[in-house]
Amino acid sequence: MSDLTPLAVFAVAAAGAAIVGLLEQLVAGVRPAPLALARAAAATLRQPLSRPDRRDGWLFHLAPGLLLIAALGALAFVPWAPGFRGIDLSTGAIAFAAALAYVTPAIFMAGWGAGRPLAVVGGFRWLALMLAYAMPLAMIITAVAAPAGSLRPTDIVEVQHAVPMALVQPLALALWLPAALAVCFLPPFDLPQADGELGGGAFSEYRGLDAALIGFAQRILLVAVSGMTAVLFLGGWQGPLLPPALWMALKTMAVAGLFLWVGRRLPRLEVDRVLSLAWKVANPLAILAIAYAGLITLLFYR
Amino acid sequence: MSDLATALVFWPAAVLMLVTGLYVFITSSMARAGLLLLASLGIEGLVFLALSSEFLGVLQLLMMSGEMVTMVFFMVMFMPDPGGLMGMDMVHDKRRSAAVAGLVGVGLALVAVLTDWPARAVGTDAPDVRAIGFEVMGRSMLTFLFAAMTILFAMVGGVLLAKYGGRYRIGAPAGEDRGGEAR
Amino acid sequence: MISLPVVLAFAGVMFGIGLYGVLGQTNTIMVIMGVELMLGASMLNVVGFLRYTHPDATSGSFFVLVLMTLMAVEAAVGFALVVSAFRHSRTAEVDDLTELRG
Repeated sequence: MSDLTPLAVFAVAAAGAAIVGLLEQLVAGVRPAPLALARAAAATLRQPLSRPDRRDGWLFHLAPGLLLIAALGALAFVPWAPGFRGIDLSTGAIAFAAALAYVTPAIFMAGWGAGRPLAVVGGFRWLALMLAYAMPLAMIITAVAAPAGSLRPTDIVEVQHAVPMALVQPLALALWLPAALAVCFLPPFDLPQADGELGGGAFSEYRGLDAALIGFAQRILLVAVSGMTAVLFLGGWQGPLLPPALWMALKTMAVAGLFLWVGRRLPRLEVDRVLSLAWKVANPLAILAIAYAGLITLLFYR
Repeated sequence: MSDLATALVFWPAAVLMLVTGLYVFITSSMARAGLLLLASLGIEGLVFLALSSEFLGVLQLLMMSGEMVTMVFFMVMFMPDPGGLMGMDMVHDKRRSAAVAGLVGVGLALVAVLTDWPARAVGTDAPDVRAIGFEVMGRSMLTFLFAAMTILFAMVGGVLLAKYGGRYRIGAPAGEDRGGEAR
Repeated sequence: MISLPVVLAFAGVMFGIGLYGVLGQTNTIMVIMGVELMLGASMLNVVGFLRYTHPDATSGSFFVLVLMTLMAVEAAVGFALVVSAFRHSRTAEVDDLTELRG
């Protein structure tokens, strides 16, 4: 398996992106049509690349690549079944957060490189948002890893064989879900693009291959984040009757569907409100979640 | 990792680290300078990984992303010409500082190469995360607490320094938005 | 072949680059960036020694952790100072912040 893992990550990424595309249609209330999805992707690819007339143009074209690398890197650390995973590090959970951290510079580069006022505003908004949300994300990963006594995602799955972590640490789950949704810059956290306010924001100038890469990367991000949610909180591949990989796929799809469904039903949050929520509520609560995780680790997991 | 894989990661990463580090001070666009610094220090994380310090490499990648992006934010705020569109010169004492820095850099490199370092038999296994955790929570607990206190002081001090009407009674100039403090 | 002198040499050159930034740049933020590069070089130094002389020492890793903390603290306090200085004299250029000159 180890020789095939890079290919496996790409296969999971492609399949996951396609499934997320279908889920998007399903959530939007449209009958899922793979052909329409493929046709839309092909139409995007046929557009010529746009070349912003600015000095930082190379940042503009580097950004989709960095975004894709960050998304694929995050996906590589998600274990899908025993023996079926991308990279198995003993610090995999932190490495996942490290990969997600590079979404921030990528979107800032996109906004800055475009050189249009609204795009730069989108980039700066995203910067402020992610600085506020990266910390609860990393802290909750530590809180969930504490009972397992290990930062290796497979160990975190193994420790949930009896009770999934969602039931043990509901506070951590409640903090994780909005932060995870924010990392994917999906509604209601679609502040960098914000079609209604910024007219596409950080991504307004992208055409053709660049735009296709960004769409692809966003869907892979959603797959990676949903997969990690399943691993950290829902017991990963563990479940009765069905084979492990199928359980994992079902859980990931359920989480991704939940994210998309919630996003369609909530209005976009205002940036100042999101920031004050993140700094004044989410961060202190995340510290509380770590303390609680330490307590239950000492009481039940030793 | 095998020796070949390590070398394939180490050499390009180390060279790229120096090149991006140098370009930080050559480019005139602030966004580029900050992102190049992020590249330099992030690639240093890859070098750590190649030197089989897995935990430190991953942590370096994680920390530097947030820190350097914050730095870009501040640079764009405080530079008179953040986009680098006017091509202004941001260097003083160019020749002397380059000479001093070059001498120090080359001197350190020479010392590194020429000294007969006590190289021990090398085990490839770096200490795993668990061992580092026991170190932090055991023998080095006091040092770690001291680092934590330093961060706390830095947070409080930073806020005090940066807020209007702080230690030096600096008020907001007339007409400037006080950033929500007035409310 | 990677060995301890190679790693230390890279760290030394990186330290020199950071020093160039500290000495040569006119803007306070760029000076802070130079200091970050110098601290990064010292971290690489420690990791090199850790890998090639004491591979099983956890205290070396711990030392790098403290250095990372130091980097964050330095940046935070530096930014706060820049904000304060900019409020006071409307500039962040090192050459213009001469109030303490005797």
